[in-house]
Amino acid sequence: MTKILDFLREEQIDPALVQELARYQAAHPLDGALCSRVPVPRYLYYGREIWEQAIAALLCGENLLLAGGKATGKNVLAENLAMAFGRPSWDISFHVNMDASTLIGMDTFVGGQVVFRPGPVYSCAVSGGFGILDEINMARNEALAVLHATLDFRRSIDVPGYDRIPLAEETRFIATMNYGYAGTRELNEALTSRFVVIQMPPIGEENLKKLLTAQFPGLKAKYADQFARLFLDLQKKCESAEISTRALDLRGMLDAIRLMYRGVPAETALDMGITNKAFDTYEQGLIRDVIHARIPRGLDRTRLFE
Amino acid sequence: MEKQCYTAQQRRAANLVWTAAGAYGFDPMFLASHSDGTPDFYMNCVVGLVRKYYGDEIPRALFALWEEDRRQPLLDDLTWLFLESAVYANELPCRPVLSELRREHAEEFFGQEYQLSRQEWMSKNQLVYTMQAARWRSVQGRNPPVMTPYESRLAAALAPDRTPDPQELTPAVLQVFERFALFDGKVQPKAAVRLHFEGLAAKILSKTHPVQLVRTDRLTVGQSVAAEGEGKGPRQDLRGALVELRQNGEEDRNYIESCFGRSLYPPERLARAEQQLCAGVHLGCHLWFSSGVPRPEQARTGDARRLADQAELQAERNRKFFAQNRELYQGAIGRLTGQIRNSILIHRQPDALCARTGKLDAARVWRMAVMEDDRVFLRAEEENRPAFTVDLLLDASASRLHCQEIIAAQGYILAESLRRCAIPVRVSAFCSLRGYTVVRVLKDFGQRDAGGTFRYFASGWNRDGLALRAAGDLTDFAPGPADRHLLILLTDASPNDSRRIPPGPGYPLGAAYDGPAAVNDAAAEVRALERKGIRVSAVFMGPGPAGKDAGTIYGPNLARITGMDQLAAAAGRLIQRQIRSLDD
Repeated sequence: MTKILDFLREEQIDPALVQELARYQAAHPLDGALCSRVPVPRYLYYGREIWEQAIAALLCGENLLLAGGKATGKNVLAENLAMAFGRPSWDISFHVNMDASTLIGMDTFVGGQVVFRPGPVYSCAVSGGFGILDEINMARNEALAVLHATLDFRRSIDVPGYDRIPLAEETRFIATMNYGYAGTRELNEALTSRFVVIQMPPIGEENLKKLLTAQFPGLKAKYADQFARLFLDLQKKCESAEISTRALDLRGMLDAIRLMYRGVPAETALDMGITNKAFDTYEQGLIRDVIHARIPRGLDRTRLFE
Repeated sequence: MEKQCYTAQQRRAANLVWTAAGAYGFDPMFLASHSDGTPDFYMNCVVGLVRKYYGDEIPRALFALWEEDRRQPLLDDLTWLFLESAVYANELPCRPVLSELRREHAEEFFGQEYQLSRQEWMSKNQLVYTMQAARWRSVQGRNPPVMTPYESRLAAALAPDRTPDPQELTPAVLQVFERFALFDGKVQPKAAVRLHFEGLAAKILSKTHPVQLVRTDRLTVGQSVAAEGEGKGPRQDLRGALVELRQNGEEDRNYIESCFGRSLYPPERLARAEQQLCAGVHLGCHLWFSSGVPRPEQARTGDARRLADQAELQAERNRKFFAQNRELYQGAIGRLTGQIRNSILIHRQPDALCARTGKLDAARVWRMAVMEDDRVFLRAEEENRPAFTVDLLLDASASRLHCQEIIAAQGYILAESLRRCAIPVRVSAFCSLRGYTVVRVLKDFGQRDAGGTFRYFASGWNRDGLALRAAGDLTDFAPGPADRHLLILLTDASPNDSRRIPPGPGYPLGAAYDGPAAVNDAAAEVRALERKGIRVSAVFMGPGPAGKDAGTIYGPNLARITGMDQLAAAAGRLIQRQIRSLDD
């Protein structure tokens, strides 16, 4: 826990907020059984302003809606926040066939009796956890109506045929959405009004370099710089719709550098991590051109790492 | 700025330019390619870097200084050597890979020497070649080629020690050209040769050389020039619209039938359609619905045989153009299919059916214990029946002559994408000729193969109002497998027909079918179709002033495109909007 607080101090987050966070952690200790649900993220989120906005909102008891394009770090931030607050988290991935019972829970048979089997929102609510509602705008608005009472001042879950359950005080919901993404719909006003919204900016060059250096301490600064710029080049190409967003994959780039560290040549590793994610051969050609305009052919581990 | 249409290779080259420039949304001034048509990686990066460091205006104005000069190719090539040197020095610190790309380019330059034909060698300017060889040999670390003192000094001047700032660029280049007596600021134009032929000579030459007839009342299939990379399309002779044409009912009907084949409608159904639809401002006009042009061996007259040959040739050109850009277009089909499928998935409301497996339905659980009914689960039923049909109606008038191959390819992309999403689609083309508005069905709902779209060709006029009426009637005649219909038109919002509007209540003296009269007529027909329950949308591509007319005719259901290569994507957006509106 102290590690993340140290990281926040390094990132020059407002000291008063960090202090409040430390106080919150101390005031809300966790039971042993739930400790395993506190996430230990693989990546840390870089971005001072967003951190400050998010911490302040959650300390005020608000629910967060993180809106932004692909590779803006929405899920990374959501996990980081759960860790920073020291709360267990429930990941709920939304899809078109999501309905109220999938969220709250449903009846099932146990020992010949119909009993209620809690869903992730219910479990999160009673345990005072952080519910991460991933791609919330993939679900139909009718399915989400059940969350209205949970997310607003009532802070309760009313399951038909059962008791009304009040939310534990620590419970927060962090939703993520990619507006205008293929397969998404408009989030209705009633639901949106129950969140405070943070518009996630695309990761900047400096933060990208920080991320690369933190993940790969041996990576030469010259190449960390070129990989960061390569990602931004791909980002621009996506924004101008010359290629699809499949290739805009930060995780894929980090995976590719990991493969390079293991000895896979840069060209092959980038094919595996980025290029081959676009299944269209013409698009693959365009992506390879972007890569070759940054990364020399035949680059290998010996030249990349110190 | 408008983005022009690119072939697959050109788009790849343009992407290299955009990547290096770090900016999109402009058409590159130059695209560099090898003699086999593949993009020159390094030089396209240089073109992009010139844009990055010198912007758009300065280089454009610089190259314009000697436009049309007889030494233009020489001056262009030398300027690019100058610019390459300037931007390389600027960019290298933030793009170290550039040194490697430059070396690769130098190797390619000398590697190509062995592949050039004698003609290619002869077309090369000796001075340019010497300067290029000097540059690329120095990049490789080799000694410069044997040069005269003049050439040595020029080579040095083309690689300045200090990179000029944007405002210094033009004076710096002009100073070099002036110093070496290459260009003194005055354009010395090439003497243009223009020959004019009449009579017999014109007849013979028009048979042996490609010719382009724009709008006549004789059906011809003109060859597109845009697909071959040049030309800005034919000029429309609007004066022709005012000419009252010869009318001979029987002859015209035979001509239309011989050219377009038998009508899809039985004679009595066609007569009824004409009686109902060819009224008001379309009084005296006729309709013809066909499934294409007869094959040459089936043609009954010489004219029809010639047309059939030309139509086959155009279909061949359309297929060839698609094949040349197959990679690009297959990708477009994949993307569009994904988007439409996704929209369907999101907005479809599957019915829940009682089943023996699936999600437990708590309200029915009691039936298991009491009635031994094990159907206590709910299963989502996938909808097999399409929710709506799409009619794509392509303007096939002579104003589309310059981009027939692109329209055919885009129609194919759309039809194939919809087919893959199980949305029934019919592709038709319309044009007007001798008072007949002809709707040719290129691909019908029942046909699995969308290849019929390649039979598209452009000719004649476009009487949009009557074509819209005809499209509505075709939907009644052959509605397809769904109750709801979406009609998408490709239009330039410039209805224009040789057959005048006859004197009547609105026009006591009659009027030409163009301008506001035709626009108002088309707008009224769109509203009439909407009242019938057909949703009408349009993809508009045309000159700026016509944009207002497009708004008048189609209202908000309009997607504007600046290049014909955006047709399928724009129509895809309209279809997705339609899918969303199914929830309403």
